[in-house]
Amino acid sequence: MNVRRIAFALLLAVVTAAAAIVMRPGASYARQDRDALFASSSSDHLAGTDAMGRDRLVRVSAALLLCLAGAAAAAALSTLAAAGIGAFGAMGPKSFGWLTLLACDAFLALPWMFLLMMVRSAIPLTTSPTASAAITFLVLAALGWPACARAVYRGTKELQKSEWMLYATANGLRRTQMLRILVPNLLPLLLPQFLISVPAFIVAEANLGALGLGIGEPLPSWGGMLLELNNSATLLQTNWIYLPVALLTVVLLLLEAITVEGS
Amino acid sequence: MRDRSHILACCALVAGFAAPVVCTAQAAQRLPGELAWTVGYDPKTFDPAKVDDEESELVRYLTAGVLLRFNRSTQQIDPSLAESWTLSPDGKALTLKLRSGLRFSDGSPLTAKDAAWSIRRVLDANTKAPVAEEFLDASAVTVQTPDEKTIVVHLAKRVVGIEKVFDEIAIEPANRPSEARVTAGPFFLGDYRRLQYIRLKRNPYYQGSKDGLPHASGIRLDVLENQEQMIRLFLRSEYDFIDNLPPDYFELLKHKAPNTVRDIGPSLNTEQMWFNQAPASPLPDWEKSWFRSQAFRVAVSQAIHREDLARIAYLGHATPAFSFVSPANKTWFDHNLSVPHMDPSEIKAILARAGFHLEAGTLKDAQGHPVRFSILTNTGNAARAKMATLIQQDLAALGMQVTVVTLDFPALIERLMHSQDYEACLLGLENVDPDPNAMMNVWLSSSPNHQWSPSEKTPATPWEAEIDRAMDLQATSNKLAERVQAVDRVQQIVVDQQPFIYLVYPNALVAVSPQLLGVQPVVQEPRTFWNVENLSVQGAR
Repeated sequence: MNVRRIAFALLLAVVTAAAAIVMRPGASYARQDRDALFASSSSDHLAGTDAMGRDRLVRVSAALLLCLAGAAAAAALSTLAAAGIGAFGAMGPKSFGWLTLLACDAFLALPWMFLLMMVRSAIPLTTSPTASAAITFLVLAALGWPACARAVYRGTKELQKSEWMLYATANGLRRTQMLRILVPNLLPLLLPQFLISVPAFIVAEANLGALGLGIGEPLPSWGGMLLELNNSATLLQTNWIYLPVALLTVVLLLLEAITVEGS
Repeated sequence: MRDRSHILACCALVAGFAAPVVCTAQAAQRLPGELAWTVGYDPKTFDPAKVDDEESELVRYLTAGVLLRFNRSTQQIDPSLAESWTLSPDGKALTLKLRSGLRFSDGSPLTAKDAAWSIRRVLDANTKAPVAEEFLDASAVTVQTPDEKTIVVHLAKRVVGIEKVFDEIAIEPANRPSEARVTAGPFFLGDYRRLQYIRLKRNPYYQGSKDGLPHASGIRLDVLENQEQMIRLFLRSEYDFIDNLPPDYFELLKHKAPNTVRDIGPSLNTEQMWFNQAPASPLPDWEKSWFRSQAFRVAVSQAIHREDLARIAYLGHATPAFSFVSPANKTWFDHNLSVPHMDPSEIKAILARAGFHLEAGTLKDAQGHPVRFSILTNTGNAARAKMATLIQQDLAALGMQVTVVTLDFPALIERLMHSQDYEACLLGLENVDPDPNAMMNVWLSSSPNHQWSPSEKTPATPWEAEIDRAMDLQATSNKLAERVQAVDRVQQIVVDQQPFIYLVYPNALVAVSPQLLGVQPVVQEPRTFWNVENLSVQGAR
């Protein structure tokens, strides 16, 4: 059994456990138990409660599910966009390819932190927490494609030099027909790009949340929970405060193991 | 390997955005007998006439010799460079008599001419001194010096609490403004290194402390923004006190050094939320009608568990608030204010009478619009973010869907002051002056700082017109009882109408080193060093 399979099995187990915790009858990530602030572990709250009396285990589990799902969706969108842009850039006229690369570079050079702040300020204030989560991951997807698009562009160019591609061109295949052949051959390149993007987006969301620009309360996010670690006064309250960062580290390590083995 | 480095690069990239900017104080070595504490940023100016920010004001407080000093402990005016003063019956002429033998820190004599020059400089429009506004019509004010020790200030019109204005006017040598290098106060500026420290030295000619000279040999103010670092350095006795502690750090110090922390009780400051009632705001008409409805505002106010806000967001270091005057304000707090008691059935009845009804757990107005709104607050204030989240749950019990939005200050101010594109806002107000006259700019309906509906051409409602009248009365009356009565009336209107929904008075929290002598913390800022000339470090004298 290779490391990738073990990592995948462990990640699946963590996700299943998180789903079971969140869907347990009576579990709520938003309900405030105002008489149990920073409560320690008990049968009601296995990992205690946070500063607002909310169940820490339910919140961490919900954040895990939300972030994994959001990051995976954002990574899929980003990879798809990169595949389209990179492949079209490579297969089009030379000037088209040059413009594609220029657009990628321009996008990579953007001060996207400020862009994100602008987007966050521009969205309607009444946007629900769920919508704000969707917007956060959509913005990450919209900003995450250029590096991958460059890789796809190079990969496509390489493929264009392969014998079977030259043969297809010589036989007069149209561009759309060639694309149909090209996409399966790009998959070995796209899959690692997708797998790389997932942990990167998880960390990006955590950082945005820590800056107050991510997912709105009361929806739990890793960034919001990591904010608690920013204050040494809070660290005295309970050791369960380290649970979110511990779980985030475990998930990132598992994702990396899957990525490295899979690439 | 390439992929691994890519992941790490991505992580480093995104992590870099969140990396806190650590401001490291390059603390100079403490000199014998020197006091030390921190300022959050470099003062914008050392010119006492141009002070417009908190840290510049702090330096002015420590260095400026003033004619009259507002005593932060008694909340009364004390003589300082002036040994006596009289105000004419019509309140338009203030005569101040200087003490004998006064000298500046360079040894030069201080006369009435210096005082008159300093006052005229502040009044001169070219100086752009913020304090000039407090004279109401600065250009019409004249200053005379009948003799070497007497200064007469003639005002164009009566100004309530004019004596207090002189607490903010530093007397400098005539025609020799020195940016605090030559002062008549307890200290003068000795050395300043940007982003590092400000060093003040004792004025050898100062006469204001209990036994003449200031007790400390000097003061070192380290420029340090990072609170974590400040707490660590305080615990290592690098600093003598922390003047304004957040509640969580108060609890931390209480745990680590219990004999250092002091909760002085409710401060003069308030935390409040309000709904946007500005007619020009881009909100839909139905939302405007909710926010203009007294019943809606009262119901929201009554549904908020203020005790929970104080207990959870401030860890018990706050007091529930219903008015803009804190119980710490000895003269103006109204003990007989009639405040509503929370009763869920009554709240529902109030909303029902105003046309609201519950439908599948969601509160809807008479036209069927679900009651959804956002509460804006600023990023970086944990207590406010917690209060907003607690209010979110309190109002959810009524069927209201509240979104909490934190924005950085520039974006927040843009929405509040310019676009007016917001529904509700939660912020605080720091009251440095206990006299309600200082809040005229908040309560007068014509003021741009009349936050719920700025710059009204005429009062939008009868109760706003009544507030205008009462505030005008307290600003012009020379009878304290009449003024108190007018301010009491404003407080009752605010409780009845809830244009500002007052939440809590945060407590004044300080930390003081056991080695610091002469310290008597008070609620009014500066809390710990208001009597700086009497402070010293144990064993230093």
